[in-house]
Amino acid sequence: MTAERLSCDVAVVGAGPAGLAAASAAATAGASVICLDAFGQPGGQYAMQPTQAGSAFAETSAVLSGQDAAQQAAAAGAKILCGAEVFWGAPVPGGFCLSVNRQGSALAVEARAVVVAAGAMERPLPFPGWTLPGVIGAGAAQRMLKTGSGALPMTGSTVLAGSGPFLLAVAQSFARAGQPLDHFVEMQRPSLTGLTGLFMRHPDRVFEAMRLGRDLRGTGATRHFGHIVTRAIGRDRVEAVEIAPLDGSGRPDMSRTTRIERVGTLAVGYGFQPVIDLTTALGAAHDFDAALGGWHCRADDDGATTIPNLWAAGETLGIGGAAPAQLSGRIAGGAAAAALGFPADDTAEPRKRVRRARAFAAGLAALFPMPRHLPLELPDDELICRCEDIRAGDIATAIAEGAHESFAVKTWTRAGMGPCQGRICGAGVAAALARAGIPSETASYNRAHLPLRPVPLPLVRDAMEAQNQMETRA
Amino acid sequence: MRGSGRRHPRGSAARIGRCDVTLPERAEVIVVGGGIVGLAAALALAEAGAAPLLLEARSFGGAVTGGSLAAIGTHMHGLEEYAVMDEACALWRDLAARTGNPFEYNPQGQIGFLLDADGVEAGERWVADERALGADCRLVTPAELAEIEPNLTGPILGATFAPDTATVNPFLAARTVLSLARAAGASARDHAPVADLLVEAGRVAGVRMENGTEIRAEHVVLASGPWTQDVSARVGIDLPLVPRQAQCLATLRQRPGTIRRIVSAVESGGGVDSGYTQIQQAGSGQILFNTVVGLIETPEGARDRINEVPSGFVLTSIDTLSLLFPSLAGVPLLRSWVRFEAVSPDARFLAGRLPRDGLWICAGDNGSGYCRALMLGRFLAGEITGQPALAPALRAEARALYDPDRFGRAA
Ligand SMILES: Cc1cc2nc3c(=O)[nH]c(=O)nc-3n(C[C@H](O)[C@H](O)[C@H](O)COP(=O)(O)OP(=O)(O)OC[C@H]3O[C@@H](n4cnc5c(N)ncnc54)[C@H](O)[C@@H]3O)c2cc1C
Ligand SMILES: Cc1cc2nc3c(=O)[nH]c(=O)nc-3n(C[C@H](O)[C@H](O)[C@H](O)COP(=O)(O)OP(=O)(O)OC[C@H]3O[C@@H](n4cnc5c(N)ncnc54)[C@H](O)[C@@H]3O)c2cc1C
Repeated sequence: MTAERLSCDVAVVGAGPAGLAAASAAATAGASVICLDAFGQPGGQYAMQPTQAGSAFAETSAVLSGQDAAQQAAAAGAKILCGAEVFWGAPVPGGFCLSVNRQGSALAVEARAVVVAAGAMERPLPFPGWTLPGVIGAGAAQRMLKTGSGALPMTGSTVLAGSGPFLLAVAQSFARAGQPLDHFVEMQRPSLTGLTGLFMRHPDRVFEAMRLGRDLRGTGATRHFGHIVTRAIGRDRVEAVEIAPLDGSGRPDMSRTTRIERVGTLAVGYGFQPVIDLTTALGAAHDFDAALGGWHCRADDDGATTIPNLWAAGETLGIGGAAPAQLSGRIAGGAAAAALGFPADDTAEPRKRVRRARAFAAGLAALFPMPRHLPLELPDDELICRCEDIRAGDIATAIAEGAHESFAVKTWTRAGMGPCQGRICGAGVAAALARAGIPSETASYNRAHLPLRPVPLPLVRDAMEAQNQMETRA
Repeated sequence: MRGSGRRHPRGSAARIGRCDVTLPERAEVIVVGGGIVGLAAALALAEAGAAPLLLEARSFGGAVTGGSLAAIGTHMHGLEEYAVMDEACALWRDLAARTGNPFEYNPQGQIGFLLDADGVEAGERWVADERALGADCRLVTPAELAEIEPNLTGPILGATFAPDTATVNPFLAARTVLSLARAAGASARDHAPVADLLVEAGRVAGVRMENGTEIRAEHVVLASGPWTQDVSARVGIDLPLVPRQAQCLATLRQRPGTIRRIVSAVESGGGVDSGYTQIQQAGSGQILFNTVVGLIETPEGARDRINEVPSGFVLTSIDTLSLLFPSLAGVPLLRSWVRFEAVSPDARFLAGRLPRDGLWICAGDNGSGYCRALMLGRFLAGEITGQPALAPALRAEARALYDPDRFGRAA
């Protein structure tokens, strides 16, 4: 077999708000554009398209905005390929070769420039009982509401817990899907003055915020602000959830725990982390900022990374939501095309707006600071890495014996060496290092290598053959 | 190996002392480098009572040691080294027995596959020569192989078989040697890069760390892998070592027993530069495999970056795996990595005294230093402390084989 080959001026990885805006901008400037996304439909996380007919989400502004953005990009001439997972990227003379798993066959895309708009992923933090069946990510819960049957498969009460504005968005999805939400547990108790200040500065966001609040109340869920889930309890699956209020020092007051009984689903979300696999693999520099979700790709105002002709947009640059993602995509797509000699767009306006949107996101992030590590003691036998069966005690011992960065914990314990390559346990390992006095800035991140996701050997071979020919061609 | 943050530049202060590290002012012996070779040297020195201080620039075992397939055996390692290699393998076996084997020592045996007439001839020669030295290896037919390695169903003419070649888990073995060394009196610091050597009255008198701290010592041992010559150059010693890129691929976990032995190409004498294959199943179930045909160029400065596997290497490795193990042709690839070895002109280590009093070397692994590490550690500790831990005949052989001066003194 040989890989299918395509070439273009600008390849965009990701068809979320950022990727679609980048594709539109570059194509409008006259560049030939291919936009690749692993999902079956364009839209990314924010504008995820419902899969069932008559979904309650079909007419939401997010879903409509995703369709709009995809139509706009296509109308400008961009080719959008869905079900196309980029599993490798490498520099080749004159640009890059992206290796793509397109529904089981290999595709090699040669591009003069690449915009990475790979979005964000959940940042699961371990707590006692977090691997019990029935405990899922808040993002996963939202996906079940928006796609598939549109309902959670488990019977019993539903608890949504964690921290951050996204939790409110998930609650809103419950309201819209008409699915019951019984308890809402938010770690922070954002100050009224803080909230007032933020919305005084960003009055255009008040309506959105009020709707989120109204929809949360509309779910009828019991609200527990300033509380944290201290334990998921159950034998073969989650049956009950223990929560506790946080005291003045931010630690749970274990003398005042409450048990929520007959729980079917515990959906937990402590925020997101940028997807940086492709940008790290290509060798771009990354920085750490807790308010942006941790390690994120470094870029200038145009989205230029430290690698020539490699651009980044959206949440790959840091968590901030759909608005700055879309704007940063438009800027980066236009800049990528301009750098190749296509006419430049005037980006003064989107730049101003992206600064504002980022300021709002930063203000919100400050009200819901991302926990670096949960203020909970984990028993030694708590599972941290599900792929390789590594427990909290194994990780603590490795750190005590001399594994003092993320990379070393991984090699000493195998945590992160399984199929998920650290996507699920990475935050837990970083939390363990932080607890031991090694902050994430120092512990660093693990750079991705071939392949970004597991891919059958014949497909890897086909793609590498194409890459090899691009590398050696005279 | 680590990202450089704009807000958190990699200053030495960030790297030293981050975990309550206090560096001593002096030590009897300093070992520079915490790969398996430096760790083994620290263990042997500690056992000899020298209370060494080991300094590792980044994480223990994080360089080539952690990327190793860590096969331990004498088969096809060169006849001159046979006796010391036999000792090297015995030391790993004994260590596993003595410690309750926390590092997955597994004497699984090694197969050298023979694909053509040249290969058969080379295989016959290796087996005859090694048997003459007392090795327990033999030639096997494809029919016998069906028992020894059932999934090796590719078009091979036969194979060599060395039943006692073993593997260890490279991370756990390094961890074990580190903790044994500490228990025997060694201290070890990670994220502690050595920047320079201290010289007093013509003698190496210690090291200067990247953060400026000076540590005095009677002896300094350079076990810094492909970086060794950078340190020796500080005192004007030019070593004939060059970094060479080595790489590997890993599949998703497969059923235990999918591959039972270490499967390697029979080298017809050209050494690693003319190509090699090594395929084995790790304790985790992943299939680790690599095939290099011809020399892979090692770019200038490459050892100081994180590198990605070359596309040509991926092609030859997948082709060889699929040829030999057709049933694995469709499994998913999980991971790849690149590391750097230190290559010497005659493919042997440099171990012993350097032409500067107080300075010692143990480097030049040529891609098979895991196997030799415990033996070399003992040899070197004996030379430094004057309390030999190898039998006199082996010590004499090691002196001749690994003499750092054998290429003529370059200073
Ligand atoms: C689980 C989850 C749920 C979220 N829900 C909401 C919400 O309800 N409301 C909200 O305002 N924000 C939500 N967010 C935040 C959301 O990420 C941003 O608001 C916005 O979608 C960011 O836009 P983006 O274009 O940067 O990334 P995304 O929208 O995440 O788009 C990135 C796209 O890149 C694709 N991709 C990544 N890597 C590859 C690859 N290697 N090959 C091919 N394709 C690839 C992904 O499939 C995805 O479609 C959610 C985030 C997550 C992780
Ligand atoms: C894919 C692969 C397969 C292999 N298979 C085998 C096999 O089957 N059998 C076998 O025997 N061998 C094998 N090897 C080779 C084996 O791994 C190496 O020979 C061995 O690990 C060398 O160890 P080392 O300690 O010399 O080097 P390294 O592990 O590189 O250690 C050197 C250390 O020195 C440190 N250092 C450098 N400069 C300084 C400084 N200035 N200050 C402080 N510290 C410093 C470095 O950070 C590094 O940690 C394989 C290697 C690879 C990549």
